[in-house]
Amino acid sequence: MQASLRRTLWISRVTFLEAVRQRFFAFLLVLSAAMVLSSVSFRVFDFGHGELKFIADFGFGGMFFFGSVLAVVMTAQLFFSEIDNRTALTLLAKPVSRAEFLLGKFFGAWAVLGVFVAVLASLQGTVLWAREQELVAQAEQAGRIPTTFSFGGLVQLALLQWLRLGVVISIVLAISALARTFLFAVVVGSLAVVAGQLQWIAQDALLRPTDSPVYAAFLWVSTRIIPNLQQFNLADALVLGASAVEDGAVFAVFLSGLAYLAAYLTVGALIFRRREI
Amino acid sequence: MRRFAPWLLVGLLVLGAGALAESSWRRVRTGIPEIGRKELEPSLGQGVLLGVLGGLRTVVADIAWIRSYVFWERRDRAGCEALMRSACALDPHARYFWENAGLRIGLDMAHWEIRRRGGYAKVPAETQQRLFQQYGRRGLDVLEEGMGYARNRTALLLAAGFLAEGKLKDVGLAANYYRQAAEAADAPWYAARISADFEWGAGRKVEAYRWYRRYWETRLRPIQDGFPDDLVRLRGMENELRLGLLQRIPRQPWER
Amino acid sequence: MSSAISVRHLTKDFRIGLRGLKLRAVDDLSLEIPRGQVYGLLGPNGCGKSTTLKIVLGLVTATAGEISILGQPSATSAARRRTGFLPEAPYFHKFLTGRELVRYCAQLSGVADADVDAAVEDALGLAAMTEAAARPIGTYSKGMLQRIGFAQAVVHDPELVILDEPTAGVDPVGSAAIGNMIQAMRAKGKTIVLCSHLLGQVEQVCDRVAIMDRGKLVLEGAVEDVLARRDRHVLTVEAMTPAARAAAEAALAAHGATVTSVTHPRRSLEDLFRELVTGSRDA
Repeated sequence: MQASLRRTLWISRVTFLEAVRQRFFAFLLVLSAAMVLSSVSFRVFDFGHGELKFIADFGFGGMFFFGSVLAVVMTAQLFFSEIDNRTALTLLAKPVSRAEFLLGKFFGAWAVLGVFVAVLASLQGTVLWAREQELVAQAEQAGRIPTTFSFGGLVQLALLQWLRLGVVISIVLAISALARTFLFAVVVGSLAVVAGQLQWIAQDALLRPTDSPVYAAFLWVSTRIIPNLQQFNLADALVLGASAVEDGAVFAVFLSGLAYLAAYLTVGALIFRRREI
Repeated sequence: MRRFAPWLLVGLLVLGAGALAESSWRRVRTGIPEIGRKELEPSLGQGVLLGVLGGLRTVVADIAWIRSYVFWERRDRAGCEALMRSACALDPHARYFWENAGLRIGLDMAHWEIRRRGGYAKVPAETQQRLFQQYGRRGLDVLEEGMGYARNRTALLLAAGFLAEGKLKDVGLAANYYRQAAEAADAPWYAARISADFEWGAGRKVEAYRWYRRYWETRLRPIQDGFPDDLVRLRGMENELRLGLLQRIPRQPWER
Repeated sequence: MSSAISVRHLTKDFRIGLRGLKLRAVDDLSLEIPRGQVYGLLGPNGCGKSTTLKIVLGLVTATAGEISILGQPSATSAARRRTGFLPEAPYFHKFLTGRELVRYCAQLSGVADADVDAAVEDALGLAAMTEAAARPIGTYSKGMLQRIGFAQAVVHDPELVILDEPTAGVDPVGSAAIGNMIQAMRAKGKTIVLCSHLLGQVEQVCDRVAIMDRGKLVLEGAVEDVLARRDRHVLTVEAMTPAARAAAEAALAAHGATVTSVTHPRRSLEDLFRELVTGSRDA
């Protein structure tokens, strides 16, 4: 068990090093960081959402969008570079199991996205804090109630986003284990992310009573197979306190995210076990 | 059997994950009111889909709102309303969208419809009045819906009062909106007076005086200069109601 | 003692296209590769030798047949722990240095933490890569890539080393260096399986060979046995004059022997090259 863990960690370490050296990662990180920092300038286009809300949405939007792109493209690229360059031949000829290889890829890619989320969340927190100070001072002068944000909520949201990206990585790895080409994995992975973002439609429909057992069965199956990625978008509730969520709801989201992650990684490992290298 | 055991495990994991997600979704659903709104459906092809998918909703809402101006300038009711409703749906906490969508629908669109039908000279007065009422009601519906989501409800109540009186000619309803606005923590100074005046105008004079007096005694008198203009209006009501000396508000030391 | 590799009735079919047409890459192959020898697996491109090696290593599943490595079923982690593999035209992460790559492979191969440093330096020394080990792999020449590939294959001191086309694209000096490494491994008692179509090199280093064609085994045996022509002999004579040649031919004819050809012995071009070029440019 310990030896297996060690092999997995070594593969994830090299995967991480490979990923952070990619220009694609640097490009998206810089682009997203620029988006977070420029949100203060763009707030002149805001139509009364409340400045902090606009800044937060701009930054988290970048984290969501570019994070998803990175999770899909980078994961598929990391996987297929091993297969196409035949480095996988060297690795898998060693006492490394297919599951260890896949887990190593997963943890390496997840660590890179952890860096991505941490950098952006730190920048976002700094920008929000700086603007909050100005708004609080202005509100005190005008005798108004200042708008504020929750730092703890920001940390929770960053962790939720990281988990969401982890689920995306695990889906893309499962698809890559089956796919023959990088392009197929990226296209199907992207569609899976879109389906995951829209899964709540089926989830909502399932919660409503229906007369058709076939329709109900279809909804039930699709809500089991497709992950609900929308449930991680709790920026308003956690960071700005604009809407309330139940106690323990965030923990429940964490738990379901981890369960999805484990399920898709297991699917990926089982498919990859049969793949000919 | 051993061959299928791992897939059985996967099945159980997926089922477990799905059940957990269903449970967590039930709990967080109310915290994400901006999704699942039918108002978004007509404008999904205009970039709104990105906002529906998650992230950048505020930005997409702003863009939808800016784009609604294009339709507003063309006096295209359907296009303008679809995009305004999209902006509201994408960011339901933003008071600005609800307030302006409600007012644009309630104030402008009846005029567009009258022009479309040939102009004020051609459309009969009663039809015009019906259209003003019809669109005023629609604007009011938007404002009422926004009250359920927007952080600043007071501004929406004031806009609703304005539409109820101006377009629906229902001063009783307007009085009710202004009263709710006056009772809010961030009530503007004029809301109580307008509410009392409309209720008075609706014929509920005693109720209007009682409410206005209690409001002035509890909310207005303790602050600043005691709101002398409101006291003057209350004195006028007392005179019209012919109240006895003991039934009136005691004379204030600063009262002229 | 069991064989290093035992292959029994191995068959591998690849399915091609949507209709699933079968392409038979290996056809009922049976092989016993003894321990402690250098074994050459020869054949033209597409004859199934690389597929056979991949099946042996568990990278590809067999359609039918049984394979064991060092007495253990192939495709198991335990079997691979005692095996080293250098794939054809190896490619490694360019950002790693040679030493980092070999260390990485040592960790994956289960070398104990305390022994990793020594194992890495031993492997680098064996592959003559110690001097270049601190350089990123992206700066290596083809020969150096093969040698660092050799180092990663042997870092965990495996009992069996499988080399797939180890000298493909490498200059004769580099090729000779790899030949020396193979000899050094043999001296240590290791079993080496060499898959190549460079027959000259195979002839020089291998104890036994198997020749495959169209997925089938067509010849197998000790190199000496399969190459020797017992009915013919070669005499190498110095300072032979025409008269001496005529006398020799007459003497041989008196005993019923016939001289079929008389030529000057030739050096191989490879020997000449190695004589002229003193060292590899790689180092």
